[in-house]
Amino acid sequence: MANTEREKQLIKGLQDAVINYKVDEARKLAQAAINEGIDAYKMTMEGLAGGMEVVSEKFDSHEYFVPETLLCAKALYGALDILKPHIKAKDGGARGQVVLGVMQGDVHDLGKNLIKAIFEAAGWTVHDLGRDVPLAKFVDEQMRTDSDIVMLSAMMTTSMVGMKKLIPMIKEKNPNVKIMIGGSPISEKTVEEYSADGTADNAPNALREAMQMLETLRKGLATA
Amino acid sequence: MEHTVIFQPSGRRGKFPAGATVLDAARKLGVGIEAICGDNLVCGKCKIKIMDGNFPKEGITSSINHVAQVADKDTKILKDLTARFEAAQEGEERRKIQRKMDKLRAKHENLSDKEREENIRLACGVKVSGDLIVFVPEASRTSEGIVSKKAGKINVKIKPAVSKVYVELPPPSLEDPTGDYERLVAGLERDHKVKGHPAIDYRALQQLPDALRAADWKVTVTLWQREQIIRVEPGKVERNIGLAVDIGTTTVAGYLTDLATGEVLATESMMNPQVRFGEDVMSRITYCMLNGRKGLEELQRTIIDGLNTIAERAAEKVGLAPADISEAVLVGNTAMHHILLGINPEYVGAAPFAPGMHHSFDINAERLGLKILPAGNVHVLPIEAGFVGADNVGCLLADEPHRRDEITLLIDIGTNGELVLGNKEKLISCSTATGPALEGGEIQYGIRATAGAIENVKVEPETLDVLFKVIGDEEWSNGQRNMGAKGICGSAIIDAIAEMFKARVIKKNGQFNKELSHPRVRKNAKGMDEFVVAWKHETALEEDITITIKDVRAIQLAKGALYSGCQIMLRKLGVEKFDRLAIAGAFGSHINKYQAMVIGMYPDCDPETIEFIGNAAGDGARIALVNVDKRREADEIARRVEYVELALEEDFNDRFGEAMQLPHMFDRFPHIESILPVEEAAQEIEV
Repeated sequence: MANTEREKQLIKGLQDAVINYKVDEARKLAQAAINEGIDAYKMTMEGLAGGMEVVSEKFDSHEYFVPETLLCAKALYGALDILKPHIKAKDGGARGQVVLGVMQGDVHDLGKNLIKAIFEAAGWTVHDLGRDVPLAKFVDEQMRTDSDIVMLSAMMTTSMVGMKKLIPMIKEKNPNVKIMIGGSPISEKTVEEYSADGTADNAPNALREAMQMLETLRKGLATA
Repeated sequence: MEHTVIFQPSGRRGKFPAGATVLDAARKLGVGIEAICGDNLVCGKCKIKIMDGNFPKEGITSSINHVAQVADKDTKILKDLTARFEAAQEGEERRKIQRKMDKLRAKHENLSDKEREENIRLACGVKVSGDLIVFVPEASRTSEGIVSKKAGKINVKIKPAVSKVYVELPPPSLEDPTGDYERLVAGLERDHKVKGHPAIDYRALQQLPDALRAADWKVTVTLWQREQIIRVEPGKVERNIGLAVDIGTTTVAGYLTDLATGEVLATESMMNPQVRFGEDVMSRITYCMLNGRKGLEELQRTIIDGLNTIAERAAEKVGLAPADISEAVLVGNTAMHHILLGINPEYVGAAPFAPGMHHSFDINAERLGLKILPAGNVHVLPIEAGFVGADNVGCLLADEPHRRDEITLLIDIGTNGELVLGNKEKLISCSTATGPALEGGEIQYGIRATAGAIENVKVEPETLDVLFKVIGDEEWSNGQRNMGAKGICGSAIIDAIAEMFKARVIKKNGQFNKELSHPRVRKNAKGMDEFVVAWKHETALEEDITITIKDVRAIQLAKGALYSGCQIMLRKLGVEKFDRLAIAGAFGSHINKYQAMVIGMYPDCDPETIEFIGNAAGDGARIALVNVDKRREADEIARRVEYVELALEEDFNDRFGEAMQLPHMFDRFPHIESILPVEEAAQEIEV
């Protein structure tokens, strides 16, 4: 079904509201879409996620930095809160599920929150365990939700070290699960050393990486 | 097999076994090469050039083939990646591998193709495998830091823990064969009213019989707290000295102090030798975590060796021996404190950050391995909380916000930024992760404040002409003269970013102004925006010195951490503003308070109320050294200060984000409004 003029207008409006971090505008347009019976899933994916994609590009090109991205995420959540209850379960099926949390001993969750916003905007189901998360909780949550990817965040090298122990714990229970690690002390070197599956230096890149992992996972399952 | 390695231009030479890195060789010979990352092939500061050819004067043949690459994990990864790349089919997977390889190379080699061709290598990345002549380029050489941690003025009553008293004793006879110690105690009580039988330290006891007889039973006794005899010297000795040391993550500064007058006799500072185990506190704690007890012992030994060097050098300056130092007072952040005492720092490194103990601690010097007077005492100041350590207590002793009516905001800027806010009613503290950027770390052309570092920058707003000053040169640059600039130090990075902001080279959000067309505003080889501070002809380098967008971002993060910390502290204390701002830290004293406010390092305030208090941590250590009552006071304040864990604050991320803008996303700066750029049609922000 082609987008109607009104849909196009709302999508563009939501995109702009996210890009220019206009919370009220984003909420207003989301409410309008609901009132007018327009597909909430489409608004989320094309409007909010579409806007966030532009934000990602701006981040990559150094036009936006953390403060702007935080504000964009706020606008996004403003609209998402309104749209989410109207999204039917089947709509989200194509995307993956991720368990997300900050390592034990670490309470810095800015990076983790940005990841959450970007992934939720892209239609992923995010099981956010918060910060200072005990190792076993990651394992349990992955088992409980059967998530495709576990994402571990650490800002301090001291809490990063816990990943070395945690990654085999998760893989032992479920060898298929992919593990992404991130945070300021983490490099490709860490990924290799800790046998993780990937990292990214910012939230948009993390999403790109995760999309590819999901693809590989699903392909793997299909051929199995 | 051993090979000859000669360093130029210093001409130092030595023989080294195959397998030693060039950087190891340099260190053994005392050739100063910058190496910030601790031999990890990361910082790219230790670039050297391997000379090629036969050098008859030196009698050796040097060749690039005489070095072997240090095999590190990354080269292995790269090898694997290359294999995978070759095996992969054209497509997304292959492109992905390619991206990974490029990233890895760029990150870890830190060398351009041109540099590789010119035989430039990282000194930590190549091993000796034959005779070598190594040229150390200007930019890689370390020079004595000028941000010496100078001793400040202290105003304190002299009441040291250690006192020296002179006694003349009646010699023993067959009629009076009383033991030497008992004889001494009787004399001390008779002449100096030393009551209650002072104990004698084991080492002092060993000296006692000879010392008493060496000068006809006339001796000088060194007493600690008037309750322990720690030294007995023949004859009359008046000189009574102590050592106060501030153990910083990066710099260690020692102050040899006359305990009778409080005067500093000699100042001696050095890089913290633990730097090779990691640049910041966290990486050193991690080193202990990964290497267990042995790692901790290694780090402890390293700092104690460093302290011994300081003691030795300082004593030598005034013609004394380190064993003449009767007492030492040490301060340092919590991690430095724990490592010094050999207490596992692991638990301080992660939430909930509980230290091994808060209280101050006294330990015998010999037991700690400190080579001052073996019976001497070492006093370590207390810890406030988690990351706010004994160094901060030192700052409080020096600045005394706890005795003032007005509200002080005290900022100690180092690799970590510690904040204290309050007055005699109440004090709160917090720690912010400022990182090394404000001191020039993680900045492309950032160097320490040494000769040749750019220390001030001015940007003409109309023409974007840049004038700058380098350390060691009184004159400003004029655009023509070769200033021999080697890089930019912390104070100048703040200057440069403030000036770039005022001249609208960068916007409030840190972004480069795309509408500007000027040769100084350009993109670098990696496509990153940058601003030329010094043209090649003004530098000692073979290239222009610039500030990149990445540098701006690093500063935004650092100053955002400080500013949001200030903001949350004000709220926690329930006040709108502070009455005075005290900036501590060796680096702090060199910044321009207006420029720092322009970039928003701290909230708006009357610049007149900003005071630079220098290395207050070191001053505090001296205060506690010369006045024993201050140690009790230190314990009291340390317990009183309430610690705020910023990251636990609900709105911390938001406040942090807002504070990353220049000078701040919302807050106004009435005191410097006239020098701030007028905001272009400010975008309305709803929150």
